[in-house]
Amino acid sequence: MRLKLLILMVCLQAGILIPGQAFALGEASKVVIPQIKYKGGTYNPRPHAVEGLLAQMAKRTSVEVKRVPLFLKPGDARLYRYPFIYMGGSKAFKPFGKKELKALRNHLTYGGFLLIDDNSSKPNSEFDRSVRRMISRLFPRIPLQRISRDHSIFRSFYLINQVVGRVVNKPYLEGITTKGRTVLVYSANDLGGAWSKSKLGHWDFDMIGGGNRQRKLSLRLGVNIVMYALTLDYKKDMVHLPIILERLRRVNPK
Amino acid sequence: MNRLATLWGEEWGEYNAWELHWTSDVWGGTFIFLGALIVLSLWFFWASLSRIRSLWKKVFLYTLRVFVLLLVAIVVLQPQLEFKKIQPLKNTIAVLLDDSKSMVIKSFPSEKPRGDLVRKVMEGNREYFEMLKQDYEVDFFFASDKIDPVSFSNVVTGYREQAVNTDLYQVFLDVMKNYEGKSLQGVVLFSDGADLSQDPLDISPEFTEMLTRLNGPVHTLQAGSNQGFKDLAIEKIDATDFGFIHQPLNITVTVSSRAIGKKNIPLVLKEGDKILVSKIISLKKEDSQYTAELQFTPSSLGKRIYTLSVPVFAGEAVEVNNRWSFEVKVIRDRVRVLHLNGRPSWDSRFLRETLANNPKVDLLSFFILRTLTDDVGATTSELSLIPFPSNLLFSDYLKSFDLVIFHNFKFSPFIDKKNLPNIKEYVEQGGAFLMIGGDLSFEGGGYDRTPVEDILPIRIRTGSRKYLLGELPMRMQPKLAQHPVLRLENDPKLNAKAWKSLPPIQGVNIGLVPAKDSHVLSTTRKSKSSYPVLVTRQVQEGRTMAIATDSSWNWNFLRVGEGGSGRYYQKFWENVIAWMTSEPETNPIQVETDKEKYREHEKVVIHFKVSGKDYNPMPGVEVELALNSLPKGQERVRETLKTDEHGEGRFEFAPGQEGFYSAKVALVSGGEVLSGEKRFIVFSPQIEFQKPLVNEALLQTLSKVTGGSHRVLEAGMNIGNLAFPNPEVEVKSSSRMVSLWNSWWTYGLIVGFLVVEWWTRRKSGLS
Repeated sequence: MRLKLLILMVCLQAGILIPGQAFALGEASKVVIPQIKYKGGTYNPRPHAVEGLLAQMAKRTSVEVKRVPLFLKPGDARLYRYPFIYMGGSKAFKPFGKKELKALRNHLTYGGFLLIDDNSSKPNSEFDRSVRRMISRLFPRIPLQRISRDHSIFRSFYLINQVVGRVVNKPYLEGITTKGRTVLVYSANDLGGAWSKSKLGHWDFDMIGGGNRQRKLSLRLGVNIVMYALTLDYKKDMVHLPIILERLRRVNPK
Repeated sequence: MNRLATLWGEEWGEYNAWELHWTSDVWGGTFIFLGALIVLSLWFFWASLSRIRSLWKKVFLYTLRVFVLLLVAIVVLQPQLEFKKIQPLKNTIAVLLDDSKSMVIKSFPSEKPRGDLVRKVMEGNREYFEMLKQDYEVDFFFASDKIDPVSFSNVVTGYREQAVNTDLYQVFLDVMKNYEGKSLQGVVLFSDGADLSQDPLDISPEFTEMLTRLNGPVHTLQAGSNQGFKDLAIEKIDATDFGFIHQPLNITVTVSSRAIGKKNIPLVLKEGDKILVSKIISLKKEDSQYTAELQFTPSSLGKRIYTLSVPVFAGEAVEVNNRWSFEVKVIRDRVRVLHLNGRPSWDSRFLRETLANNPKVDLLSFFILRTLTDDVGATTSELSLIPFPSNLLFSDYLKSFDLVIFHNFKFSPFIDKKNLPNIKEYVEQGGAFLMIGGDLSFEGGGYDRTPVEDILPIRIRTGSRKYLLGELPMRMQPKLAQHPVLRLENDPKLNAKAWKSLPPIQGVNIGLVPAKDSHVLSTTRKSKSSYPVLVTRQVQEGRTMAIATDSSWNWNFLRVGEGGSGRYYQKFWENVIAWMTSEPETNPIQVETDKEKYREHEKVVIHFKVSGKDYNPMPGVEVELALNSLPKGQERVRETLKTDEHGEGRFEFAPGQEGFYSAKVALVSGGEVLSGEKRFIVFSPQIEFQKPLVNEALLQTLSKVTGGSHRVLEAGMNIGNLAFPNPEVEVKSSSRMVSLWNSWWTYGLIVGFLVVEWWTRRKSGLS
């Protein structure tokens, strides 16, 4: 009895915990992150990025994931089985067709989420220009805007006050928000490069500038982005606010 | 007269007067013009006779012309003779008896109701009225805010102080209309003058002006007086018609006190016999009106009847105004939902979004974001995670939720097992509990052989396989197609089509056996085996449901991908919330009345529709209809009725007296009682008792303005010296008109005179 109580107290101190799984969940319910396979450029310059992110999700959170590489074209009907999609690249790509744009727009409008990651490691890259062009056609009436620091993405799991990636081209994320929900996040900092890990367990790419801390922050940002897609503004519920604000105050006393 | 009449060869004995009438169509100037024309034409005519030497001939011709002109003038002026019968007319006196409710108020020191004084004086002065009837027509009326005629013989026996309002202006307006063209020479008014529409000291100018148009005096006989008047009354309540459950509600109460003295009195608000709130009001000698603010919190939904009361003191003039019942329709502000998620998943993400975006839902959700084996690689201060407030939720505040959802949620270690009975108790007392599938639900959540299993609509059969994967189409149970949870469309065919259009689920929890009294709304099949997916159950006062899959989100997002919309997903969850929280429209027995409020003596029509627990109509079954008066629950009517071929029925009820009523229809089905209830009000305004004082000033003014007298009634009082004018008034009872011009001899004489004149002129050598 005392042991149980001790375990529970530790759990409560540490956050919300549950014991490991007794049996596996249905495969269909696991989180799978497909990558967009577009024409032109390179759609998969960081082959282990998504797998690396999912591995971190499985390791750090209660989210059940399925680490299988999956590449889908923007207009593929199967996209609706996967509310979270990832789009990486390092070069200019061919503009999406109207049908592809419409399918992607519907996906995002009705519940989907798209993370775009510039893996070129260069500021204002060809990929960046292609992405901005594509987004302006995808949501012509909603501008791509800088995501503010009080956004739920920065508190959905970790409390984050720095936006980094393998590089730090832009110390912020940009996004498209519609009807109160951010449906698209764009990182210019090669998050995939920071997540990418070989099957032997080695990081595929060295961090540029910040070393291990920068990688740690990149991994945390990746986890938070997926967690935001899964829980939306859950962390803005009133029940969370007092504790989160107190912790943020301790981290940033100013 | 008779000689004149016999000229027309008729029997004219029935007439006693005649009158000559000239046409009214001719303009007055016509007479002057016609006279001038006759004079002028006669002068010309005399001049034209100058060549005739014989004076006699001249005179004869001139006379003929004069007669012709006179006859033409008669035709133009159209004279008529009216023969008529004139009779003398009796003048009228109107006697008005105030029959408003305030006449039941006692007078002091006799402690007799005001109405009794009226009865006694009327009886004591019967001879006077008989005598008065010899000289006058005496009409009797009951008066309140209108006049109702009554015969002299019934004026005492038919006198009932029941009218709900006094409006003397309207009464005199009715009197004026009633005696228009008649000879009303006076009014006798028996009343307490308690007319709330008139200022006691300054009656309205319209009223005064109307009274001056009355021919005779108004004698006011005041019933009762304010001497020794003692009363404590709830004069006014300011409260909204509706309130929100579990939300404080404010009411403002005005209490008036007369001659009660210096006392502390309790003002008590009750629902049934339960005291909700009370407040002490300190009465002072110098004040007569007090305002109190009360606050209470409704704890039950629906139309609730609350009663305010102050104590009744000995010798009070009115006792009924010491209590005031009022109705508040208690509704949900928003459905409070506790949504616990065992882990973030797409199913929980879409459900959370649906609940959070529903304006009727107040959502509190918790996600379990990490497990014991997870390595977050950070300190607690770097995490946004918060401790799970288990005890607060499942011990202190559980009953504040309307619906609790365990979404793929394993209770251990977050909820102490000792708190699981709280969930059972919460449901049994009217709460709602929903378990959504996944590997952490049902057996995977360790709920077998716990109090939670007792209330679930399924029994958990432990085994090695807990979850079945694959594309599993849902099969709605046709027999339960009327169930509120399944009603995606109102039309049954469209509804079946809607369910077929939903994408298959991706997996189902297996090893679940429907509980004995549950309803399996839908199943899925694989390899000839059927598995329940949507199962509901009524557990005493509460409701539970199991959704044995964590892929209902496919009905939203995947459906959009197939070219449809998430409309049915939204509707499904709206249905689930409505049914689980026992919204009135989800009750199998629906009872309606044709109106919400009825006047006293108005007929109440009750209509009911009876469905079984499976929500299918039940034709030809016997149900018990009970009509009770509230808040005491006294039974007024109990009838056994049979439903028609549609499972419906109708009942008419005459409540007879004011109050709050409940119509409850109950069906005994399989040893259980299903019931539906509708509450309605039968009202009779109590405005007469809000300001019950005698208005002596008003009665005096009425008399003064009309030249009448004002007296205060006393038992045995003689009112024989009331004075009324009695002028002679005659009235024409019958008449006949006879035309003096429109006849053959008028035109014959004109033509005859002209012919004779013409012949004579020719003979005399004139043209």
